[in-house]
Amino acid sequence: MSEFLQFVFAGLKSGAIYSLIALGFTVVFAATGAINFAQGEFFMLGGMIGVWLIQLGVPLPAAVVLSVTLTSVIAAVFEILAIRPIADGDPLRIIMVTIGGSIVIRQMALHVFGPDEMPLASFTAGPSFMIAGAAIERQTVWIWGITALTVAALFYLYRRTTMGQAMTATSLQRDAARLVGIDTRWMVTASFALAGALGAVAGLAVAPLTQTAFDVGAGIGVKGFAAAILGGLGNPVAAVGGGLVLGLLESMTAGYLNPLYKDAVALVVLLGVLFVRPQGLFGGSRREKV
Amino acid sequence: MTGRLNALALTVTTVVVASAVLLGGCSGATSASSEATSADSYKVGAILSLTGTYAALGSSEKNALELEVTRINAAGGVNGRRIELIIEDDGTDEAKAVAAASKLLSQDEVIAILGASGTGQSMAIRSEIDRAGVPQISMAGGTVITSTFDRLVFQTPWSNSLVVPYVLDRIAADGYTKLAVISDSGGYGKDGNAIIVAEAPKKGIQIVSRQTFNPGDTDFSAQLTKVKSSDAQAVLLWTAGKEGASIVKSASELGVSLPQYGGSGQAKVEFPAGAGPAADGFVFGTGRSLVASNWPADSEQYGVIRDFSRRYSTAYGQDPDIFAGHAYDAIAILVDGLKRAGSGTDPAALRDAIEKTSALPGFGGAFTFSPTDHNGLTADDLALYRVGEGTWERVR
Repeated sequence: MSEFLQFVFAGLKSGAIYSLIALGFTVVFAATGAINFAQGEFFMLGGMIGVWLIQLGVPLPAAVVLSVTLTSVIAAVFEILAIRPIADGDPLRIIMVTIGGSIVIRQMALHVFGPDEMPLASFTAGPSFMIAGAAIERQTVWIWGITALTVAALFYLYRRTTMGQAMTATSLQRDAARLVGIDTRWMVTASFALAGALGAVAGLAVAPLTQTAFDVGAGIGVKGFAAAILGGLGNPVAAVGGGLVLGLLESMTAGYLNPLYKDAVALVVLLGVLFVRPQGLFGGSRREKV
Repeated sequence: MTGRLNALALTVTTVVVASAVLLGGCSGATSASSEATSADSYKVGAILSLTGTYAALGSSEKNALELEVTRINAAGGVNGRRIELIIEDDGTDEAKAVAAASKLLSQDEVIAILGASGTGQSMAIRSEIDRAGVPQISMAGGTVITSTFDRLVFQTPWSNSLVVPYVLDRIAADGYTKLAVISDSGGYGKDGNAIIVAEAPKKGIQIVSRQTFNPGDTDFSAQLTKVKSSDAQAVLLWTAGKEGASIVKSASELGVSLPQYGGSGQAKVEFPAGAGPAADGFVFGTGRSLVASNWPADSEQYGVIRDFSRRYSTAYGQDPDIFAGHAYDAIAILVDGLKRAGSGTDPAALRDAIEKTSALPGFGGAFTFSPTDHNGLTADDLALYRVGEGTWERVR
């Protein structure tokens, strides 16, 4: 029983991180109709910039704020430089540009930060919490708290602020949104900035558990993408659900089958969902617009 | 026009793109440390893991190779020829190692290959080595490199078949008979795992839990939970990647309070730095040379290590680790061979000369190769260390 519980905690820990990455995919997909494959690099940048600032002696809270802001700015600049010139084009072109962008960002991180892994101490020191024989690391509690807060903030942004409503309007009907005076181009930029912030938060939250390096982005990007597809692309609630379900599936596979198959789970899920239920677990039946 | 993809197109792009992202990775950085190609030079290739999970190993090795080549060339080279070193990054990836070897052998026409950093990568390039008939001096610790014998392949580290029994002896001496083993699924971990399984019964140790993980994994809850629920009295960790630090840290947080042991993979500053206080008390076995003063002050070994350490720390501001030492040995063995091979650039003559290496004082020990032994080190070259407060000290 305590073993099962431990696997559940581990699954929800990874799942929360996947949720944040999946949300990043969802936000950009809503604005552009394209998949942003540089999402994993925002995760990497958040962690690397944060750890780097902390090593320079910046206190943790300030480093978190600075790192999330900086990553967000980098994401926005990336959009303005690379995506905007083709923003009205084929989503496939945008996808290709984001793949190229991810490689550029990764190589730049390699040159700036070097190839070594960078360690980070847990946000708060101390022993793990024990529940029925299963341990929850303090950092895991941070991850859950940060994920919950971020999701709540995202919903507040979308539901309660003018900017969020403008972003929603853009994603629903771009031309109509433009007609009522919304600057849809800036809404796309805003979606990238938001995706950058989401990735950075995830990258920072997980750094104390895993260390971080310039090349961690690609792997987590695939996981987050699988989570977004599993939940149902374009729906924030579904992204969170997809992330948690994927985390649990991985953890159970590692626990009861073989840890070496863990990474395959995301790909199996990805293909399975796309072939069987392309709208995702939590997506309603989606009307295709041709 | 919303620009949304339909489901089929999405499926196709997803598959294509996901595999591109997974397989594509980053391109290997290449650096050549010498100026113009000269007819009067020895071209030597090095395949190192400058990125990926063995990045810490590869960067130390690169430092050591460049330091030595610069020194040798400044002193007039070998046999009046300069050494032209061409370094390729394999990204801790076997396919990239093969591509690098193929490039070095067919394009650069090197006379020897130093590396790779990892066991899997060292083995992966073997068919390229055999085809070109060029000697290879590996800096990886997997026993398979020299036990799966190839007349062209030599090895500088203390290999697993030396270090594993040495560490198991210590575990048995500490009174533990039930052991959990955690190893990676890469070349070094797989190599070590097989030797652990073969050697443990001989020491009266029963392996009660065998856990593996993939290089690049970040969560080890499943493996550690199973170790925790087994009746193991101690844990033996066999990996050279950066995951070691995360595993030890995670073990302490998940309440796995068993004594932990390891090997050469933990003999790098990144290990205690990454694991923090969780690594305190961790015992690992590796070469005596990790600490120069383990050798008598009047021994040749001590002189070699002190001399190398002084030059290395002057150049890079930090002491060399064992991986820098393995690279130092690779270049020392090569230079020693070149001197005896005469002034030609024939790889076959060089191979024969390297095989005749005898009592060459290096970082890892005194190297003596023979037609059946291409590692040339013994258990006398090993020592045990205990981690504490971010560093380590020798355990007697």
